[in-house]
Amino acid sequence: MKKGLKGLFSVIILSMILSACALDSSSTKDSSASDKKGNTESSSAKSTEVKEYKATNLEALPNKTKARKDTFIAGISAPGGVFLPYFYENGWDGNATDPMFAPLVNLDPTGKPVGILAEKWDVSSDLLTYTFHLRKGLKFSDGSPLTADDVAFTLTLLHDPAYAGEQDISLTAIKGGKEYKEGKVKSIEGIKVVDKETIEITTEEVNAKSLLILGGQVLSKAYYGKDYQFGKLDYLKELYPKPLGAGPYKFVKYVPGQEIRYVANEHYYAGTPKMKNLIFKVIDTSTSLQLFETGELDYAGFSADDDTVEQLKSLGFANLEVGPVNDYGFIYVNNSRPQFKDKAVRQALVYGLDRQKIVDVKFKGYGTVANVPVSKVSWAYNDEGINKYEFNAKKAKELLDQAGWKVGSDGIREKDGKKFVIRYLTRTADDPIIPIAKENYQDIGIKFEPEIMDFNAIVAKLGTKDYDFAAVSTSQILDPSDPVEEFATGNANNAAGYSNPKVDELIKKGLNTLDIEKRKVIYHDLYKELNDDPPVILIHYRQSAKAISGQIEGLHPDNFTGISASLPNISIKK
Amino acid sequence: MKQYVLQRFLQMIVILFGTSFIIFFLFAMLPGDYIDSNISLTPQRAQELKALYGLDQPVLQRYFTWLGNALHGDFGYSLKHQEKVLSLLNKYVWNSFFVAIFALVLTWSIALVSGVISAIKQYSWFDGFVTFFVFAAMSFPSFFISLLFIKWFGVDLQILPIGGMIDTGSDSTGLAHLLEVGKHMILPVTILTLLSIGSLTRYFRTGMLEVIRQDYIRTARAKGLKERVVIFKHALKNAILPAITLLAFELPGLFSGAIIMEQIFNWPGVGRIQLESVSFRDYPVLMAFTMFLSCLTIIGNFLADVTYAAVDPRIRLK
Amino acid sequence: MDTPNPIVNKQVKTVVKSPSIWKQTFRRLKKNKLAMISLFFLLFMFLLSFIGPYFSPYILDRTNVANMNQPPSAAHWLGTDNYGRDVLTRLMMAGQISLTIGIAAMVLSVMIGSLLGAISGFYRGVVDMVIMRVADILMSIPGLPLLLILAAILSEWKVPAEYRLYIIMIMLSFVGWPGLARLVRGQILSLKEQPFMQATEVLGLSDRRKILHHLIPNTVPLLLVVATLNVAGSILSESALSFLGLGVVPPTPSWGNMMDAANNFMDFRKRPWLWIPPGTAIFLTVVSINLLGDGLRDALDPKMRR
Repeated sequence: MKKGLKGLFSVIILSMILSACALDSSSTKDSSASDKKGNTESSSAKSTEVKEYKATNLEALPNKTKARKDTFIAGISAPGGVFLPYFYENGWDGNATDPMFAPLVNLDPTGKPVGILAEKWDVSSDLLTYTFHLRKGLKFSDGSPLTADDVAFTLTLLHDPAYAGEQDISLTAIKGGKEYKEGKVKSIEGIKVVDKETIEITTEEVNAKSLLILGGQVLSKAYYGKDYQFGKLDYLKELYPKPLGAGPYKFVKYVPGQEIRYVANEHYYAGTPKMKNLIFKVIDTSTSLQLFETGELDYAGFSADDDTVEQLKSLGFANLEVGPVNDYGFIYVNNSRPQFKDKAVRQALVYGLDRQKIVDVKFKGYGTVANVPVSKVSWAYNDEGINKYEFNAKKAKELLDQAGWKVGSDGIREKDGKKFVIRYLTRTADDPIIPIAKENYQDIGIKFEPEIMDFNAIVAKLGTKDYDFAAVSTSQILDPSDPVEEFATGNANNAAGYSNPKVDELIKKGLNTLDIEKRKVIYHDLYKELNDDPPVILIHYRQSAKAISGQIEGLHPDNFTGISASLPNISIKK
Repeated sequence: MKQYVLQRFLQMIVILFGTSFIIFFLFAMLPGDYIDSNISLTPQRAQELKALYGLDQPVLQRYFTWLGNALHGDFGYSLKHQEKVLSLLNKYVWNSFFVAIFALVLTWSIALVSGVISAIKQYSWFDGFVTFFVFAAMSFPSFFISLLFIKWFGVDLQILPIGGMIDTGSDSTGLAHLLEVGKHMILPVTILTLLSIGSLTRYFRTGMLEVIRQDYIRTARAKGLKERVVIFKHALKNAILPAITLLAFELPGLFSGAIIMEQIFNWPGVGRIQLESVSFRDYPVLMAFTMFLSCLTIIGNFLADVTYAAVDPRIRLK
Repeated sequence: MDTPNPIVNKQVKTVVKSPSIWKQTFRRLKKNKLAMISLFFLLFMFLLSFIGPYFSPYILDRTNVANMNQPPSAAHWLGTDNYGRDVLTRLMMAGQISLTIGIAAMVLSVMIGSLLGAISGFYRGVVDMVIMRVADILMSIPGLPLLLILAAILSEWKVPAEYRLYIIMIMLSFVGWPGLARLVRGQILSLKEQPFMQATEVLGLSDRRKILHHLIPNTVPLLLVVATLNVAGSILSESALSFLGLGVVPPTPSWGNMMDAANNFMDFRKRPWLWIPPGTAIFLTVVSINLLGDGLRDALDPKMRR
């Protein structure tokens, strides 16, 4: 759940090991490989569906895999060793802690909330008070009981003034939270432990995302609160490498830079997981294919392309899932610059860019053009009535002419004596947007100058709005509000400098109710408005290929929790 | 001699202070800091965090804070890894060191032998082969060679592990552990050696060629000395003199980690930590590590100067 | 005697003027077949890079995605890359950049490094100490952050991308000279004590003459090795630099960045026409420079009688 707040960096890595594809049980499981043969035209139409390829020959399993009878190995890129939710700075530590710490509430494969440690929950009619009913007899992996006190402790800890982690609890606006943080009161008024299994939390603002934040991973008060003193959190650093939680697995050992080992938690509420041992092996994405081929990994994710998919299929012992990833890519446009203030100009820039070509080059058939600022697997996705902005240089030229940008003698448009030049910031030299945008924009009379700089520098420039265009992707989208919140006027993360009062209103409305059907409608309206007055240039939705070793059963990676949701249920085929 | 050593030592202290100052300010000039890289923070929260970490203070003040702590042996906490810098570096630096030192020994031995023999048999097929090999290794990036070796030995033949320092899930200790690590070291050490061998061979070869043409070698031969004696006793010593300077450069290299190699082979070394600390503006790690390498560089240079003087009697130190 | 004696005149006229040192060197060089082949190859590469593109029917940066990743064929002698651009044309254009960078960067750093190293080794004392300590400091400053800062500064000053490359080359030379200077200084230290230097002292030669005409020329063999290694290094480093935003700006090709584009396993295995041409170009260029350098060194050495 915290993955959504990690920041861009941990996502721009293409083959997200634990990203997921939707496994919507109603979609047709197409197991015939023959249809899908790298044919650009048919595969871009099909690339929103999930394709599954089953293992054909389990005899071909590498010896290493066959020798494993009770261990599952997945890959992780670069954990930092801070194994405490809310306190790690590195997204991969999030993946590392998921098997060990269970939350009250999590998301199901369709992105709707489902109870984990909480059996059920109620929300008051004013949408401000949340009452969680924990399951009976919950225990941490050391056998100690898990009660509402632990939940209260976790939430209070996050309000401590010395808390320097990424979770911003103030977003939930718990009553009395601010006063506690300022040291004015000794406990938070809005957190009430009703009894061992019931906790009631009162907030002061309606926020559709509060449920997940309040229902986050639970920390043991006895273990993590033993030396707690208001304002002094350094003692926790000793506990980073010694985690204790209520998740399906408990911590065994961390070999720095190499692997993290876990063993099944016999006190897990849903029963001891069938797979006794779990190992997250630290890998580098450039060799993940080789590692999977030789049986060093049971599960690996790759950015999808024909070569990789063919290679994986040819192994024979792998189950493959090729499906959409829960994010999208886009180009930031600096709306505060005079040339981009005009809506017509921004529309022209979208018409004038051959986004289909970019997607084709970058994803070779495993990506589609994005026109809605949410991923296709979200329940909020709706492209009805959305203008697809198909590549149309003529229209772009018309719009620019109308906006007063006349082509000068050197072929570059100018207005009021200023030439139309776009400085584009990107992280990598092989960004396909560079050659394609350069060509396209030159045709319509705009000079396009790419600049490569490192990630931190780009972020700094986005912060000070010192850029024209910049390339980014979103993080994993857990709630449809996540990617669009920043477009609200005055929002701290509004790097695009965008302002549209109608959009502001819709964004607020979207969070103001917890009813998913109502929210769907609100977001649809929002998307239509953002489509007409685009703050940024949306580029792509992409796909990934997930390979699972044929002897593993029960693993169903999904788009919202990766492998976390199905991890407790995996076993080895006999 | 003692006086010289003392002088150099004092100079070294001055340089270290100077370097730390320059580096700190250089890093401070990098746009953006650690907190900035997390764009999902509200500006309020960002301000809070910056204050917590002391990042909102003026640069000069931050420098002296750092200096004060450093002189007490406290190099601070890594912002990203949330642990003490020294323990963080200690975890990883030895892994890099072991690979580097094996590669160093191998490189120098092989380069010395091939360089000298190429020179002696200039223009022979051996010389031609070595030259060709050296330039081929130089022209293709390490990435390619690494992937190629992984494919041949790791995937096709499956005789060497693809990456990592230990077998997955292994609990071995003692001798078994050493052997396991050794097996995993084979590919990284080989690649590193291949990469460095080229330039060193050329230096040795040239040095040897120069010496062979000198008059005193002709004299030695004229005196009727056996060729082997001529080469090893007279020529070699003089030929490798310039290379001694090179050895000094290797000292910091032993601890700086080979970034690309460590990435591809997933070797838990210090190279990646270094790269990350720059990308994420993790000042404490950056400063500690850079000062460490700086020390090594200065010591290395100093050792080179002293050795050079010791080996070549014609040179006077002062 | 009114009329001059014809025999005396003839004798006067037949006094032979000895050819200049360069003519002598070149004559000796001509005899070295390998060196000559290398020389002609380098000339060929220059022509190919600077004039070749004019003969290509393909516009350099025009993408043609329908045509992407095609193996070599009659239409595209070296195939196409992942944007459908002709590899051969790009190879030729890339040559301009890579050759320029390789050679210019090398010349700069060799000049600065050898001069400073020589002065340091020759004069010893305070001069030596200052230069060497400055070298120490420069060597200790890590390259990566330094380059990132440079990139940031250049970006702040809005320096046009085309000029950045040259500025970087200059900066690299400035930062790279310590290593070279130390090497040269080491050599100078030994050379200084040799008898021929005593001779120059006796002859009363000026310091400048001693350094430029006697000491440095004797370090030429070493310098040649460094120079040739430097060229290959510069060509390849340039592509590493482009990752930091300092090298050649895409879509402009260079041999280094053409190779990097194929650095994933699939391209490497299945599409060798993407990386073999630039790799071979670098290889042959480096070998030629080296053989030429070797030949030059042999030709300059009066002791060689081949």
